[in-house]
Amino acid sequence: MMKNDGGVRVFWLLLLFLLYTRGKSFSVPGKPTLTRCRSPEKETFTCWWEPGSDGGLPTTYKLYYRKEGSEKEYQCTDYHTGGKNSCFFNKNDTSIWVNYNITVVATNALGQALSDPLNIDVYFIVEPNPPENLNVTIQNDKGWPFLRASWDPPTKADTRSGWITLIYELRIKLEEEDEWEIHHVGQQKVFNIFGLQSGGTYVIQIRCKPDHGFWSEWSDDVQVVVPNYFPNKRSAWVLLMVFSGMVFLILSWLLHLNSRNLKHCILPPVPGPKIKGFDQKLHKSGKSVDAFKSLEVPDFPHHTFSKSEDFLVEYIEVYVPEEQELMLEKSNNLHNGCLKSESSVSDCDSGRGSCDSHTLLLDKSGHQTNTQDSQTDEQKHGEALQGENLAYTHQDMVSPDMSAGRVKTWPSVFSPLPQNRSTVDQTSSIEIAKQHCLSDSLLPSDFLTPYHSPPGHCTREHLGSNYWEFDFGNKQPHLTQPQTEACHQIQAHSEININTGVKAEPAAHKFPTPRSNEYVEVQRINEEDSVVLRPVASNYDKLFEMQQGEDYSRVKGVDSDNVLLLLQKEAMEEEMNMCPCEQLTDTTGAHYTRFARSPEKPTACTHPTPQPLEERVVNGYVDTATMFTMPPY
Amino acid sequence: MKVAGVTGEDAEDRVRWRKLIGCVLCSALMCKAVDIPDLLDRASQRSDKLHSLSNMLALELVTIGRVTMPRPAMCHTSSLLTPNDKEQALQVSESTLMSLARSLLKAWQYPVGVLSNSANLLPHQSKASISNKLQELQEHSRNLEDGLDVLSGKMGPTAQILSTLPYRGGSDLGQDKMSKLINFNFLLSCLRRDSHKIDSFLKVLRCRAANMQPNLC
Repeated sequence: MMKNDGGVRVFWLLLLFLLYTRGKSFSVPGKPTLTRCRSPEKETFTCWWEPGSDGGLPTTYKLYYRKEGSEKEYQCTDYHTGGKNSCFFNKNDTSIWVNYNITVVATNALGQALSDPLNIDVYFIVEPNPPENLNVTIQNDKGWPFLRASWDPPTKADTRSGWITLIYELRIKLEEEDEWEIHHVGQQKVFNIFGLQSGGTYVIQIRCKPDHGFWSEWSDDVQVVVPNYFPNKRSAWVLLMVFSGMVFLILSWLLHLNSRNLKHCILPPVPGPKIKGFDQKLHKSGKSVDAFKSLEVPDFPHHTFSKSEDFLVEYIEVYVPEEQELMLEKSNNLHNGCLKSESSVSDCDSGRGSCDSHTLLLDKSGHQTNTQDSQTDEQKHGEALQGENLAYTHQDMVSPDMSAGRVKTWPSVFSPLPQNRSTVDQTSSIEIAKQHCLSDSLLPSDFLTPYHSPPGHCTREHLGSNYWEFDFGNKQPHLTQPQTEACHQIQAHSEININTGVKAEPAAHKFPTPRSNEYVEVQRINEEDSVVLRPVASNYDKLFEMQQGEDYSRVKGVDSDNVLLLLQKEAMEEEMNMCPCEQLTDTTGAHYTRFARSPEKPTACTHPTPQPLEERVVNGYVDTATMFTMPPY
Repeated sequence: MKVAGVTGEDAEDRVRWRKLIGCVLCSALMCKAVDIPDLLDRASQRSDKLHSLSNMLALELVTIGRVTMPRPAMCHTSSLLTPNDKEQALQVSESTLMSLARSLLKAWQYPVGVLSNSANLLPHQSKASISNKLQELQEHSRNLEDGLDVLSGKMGPTAQILSTLPYRGGSDLGQDKMSKLINFNFLLSCLRRDSHKIDSFLKVLRCRAANMQPNLC
């Protein structure tokens, strides 16, 4: 024995000498470190350690452990199952809910080293093995394929008894991709995957974890190829293109249909000038004069007015007595509008031109208005005439659209008017005519008191035509028939009520001395509703001369008996005296002058030339043989 | 394996009272009685949550430092003998398992309160979070206790046996901060283990009862 011991020692010394001569150093082993312990199924567990430096000498490692509540030291019995530097605790050695105190001892020839102790309990070091038997199949759901993955729990894990409860996690990706798609599965062992790419290759992996433990490693890859369930990828694109093309076509067609509306919405048209008769082209061409010329009304009274006053036509409105007023009331109401314009006495905007005419007799006093208003009745009667200017004996032109039915006529009694008018000829251009409405308030004692009615009075012609308004009454003062009847008979029976006023004298003074002119015009109307006349300028003659073949009566003068002396155009002077008294004392008590067309109704007054009168009257004109009394000049 | 302790009378009264109310309500509302597998399922879910909370708490405290906490000898529930491995656990009857689970749960009712009260005094940076978790844990524990009471009523008289496991740690965890921290940590580790025990027992019971649902177990 002693020899053996000595031999061992010598051996060791020699070894050390050898090592020393080689230049190496030896030391005690380094301290090992227990890295981790794991239990895959809560029934066994394994611990691994990390050895320290071995000190150049062979080092052995031993694992010792103590269990909670006992001081007995156990040593690990299995250093191989878990691999190198591991210790495997089998089922018999494993207790759960028991604290283990584990130590690893590294030993070499020179010494040993102890690791730090590790306290573990099996329940919190559970890390299962990956699930096994992962199987992925392709299923069909109404033509759409999907993947069905199924697996088994790791072999050793006893999930059946509930000793360990595992939850699974699956991940999938296309073969060529890098990012995984992770699905939390739960406790089930089957999982379906939808939304696959046609013809793609998928890779699937699965792992598991106990309810309170660590995740297992991922299982091995399982590859699966999805069949082409899309007939052709390209056909899908073709379909898409066709569809979008159709949609585009429809949209463009709709847009085209509504292009105008859209254009209006987006780019509203700039309103252009809206001047009637305004020619933009002319205006653009720079000839402003021409452009504005078109705006001119040919028969604007201004021009004619300033040119020739001989176009002046004066109308005298005949006063209609009371009885006839009633009848007139029933006349056409249309003309009310015409009458009502009397209020606009001072309306000069009608463009009639008569506003600024020097011949305008319009007295802008209130008195004037009153007189005008009272003429409404008369005018109604006059308007009952159907728009025909026929009745106008010496009328004046004025415009044909006397829809108001104003009677235009004239009393050529007063001023011989050019008889250029035939009944048909109404459309001739206008000469300026003045409207004179006879005031109702004309007293029996009054005389002819035409007064000028405002141009606004007549609404039909706004271009400066003035109309004589006439009230034609039937011969019978109590005519109950509609005035229209009487109107049409105007030509035949035109009764002009002319008041010869007793105030001729005073009014007479207002008349200017007669000059060489034959025509008179109404200057104004004085308070007594008497017309103040004055002769017209000489140039008037020319106009009349132009119009030949017509008979006009010229006023020669007024004699002392308040008779208006008229002359025949043929320069035959005939003085006719009317017997106003007879007329005056007519039933109405008003002064009438009757122009009888038919011989049946000859005027009561005798005049020297009844024949001519009748002839003339046939034409609807007043002959010179009209006898009106007129206040002398 | 020994079963220690006898249930208190008040606990029995409470169970009887609950059973009575349950029966009356069910018959009044014509409701179908929840069967045991469902009840076990619910109970195991709650115990799962309970354990998760305690787990988080324990891990939070451990991160303070790598100082290995000295362990006192034993948890106050160590006297209760419970299966230590799978074979033992599978051999135990359901009623026993239920009784064990209920006993453990009841043993922790008071210490959890102590922990919850001491949480704000901990010299720990995240004591607010710890305090919240402890309060939540306490609520779960109470709910589970009530549920297990109902369950045990359906499982037989053995399930009704409750072992008393008194806690002798005192109302506070220590005099100084360090001892407080150590004791706190220790208590939490004991709780963590015991909540896992309860959870495991209930899950075993669940699988045993759910014979018709092999996919779960």
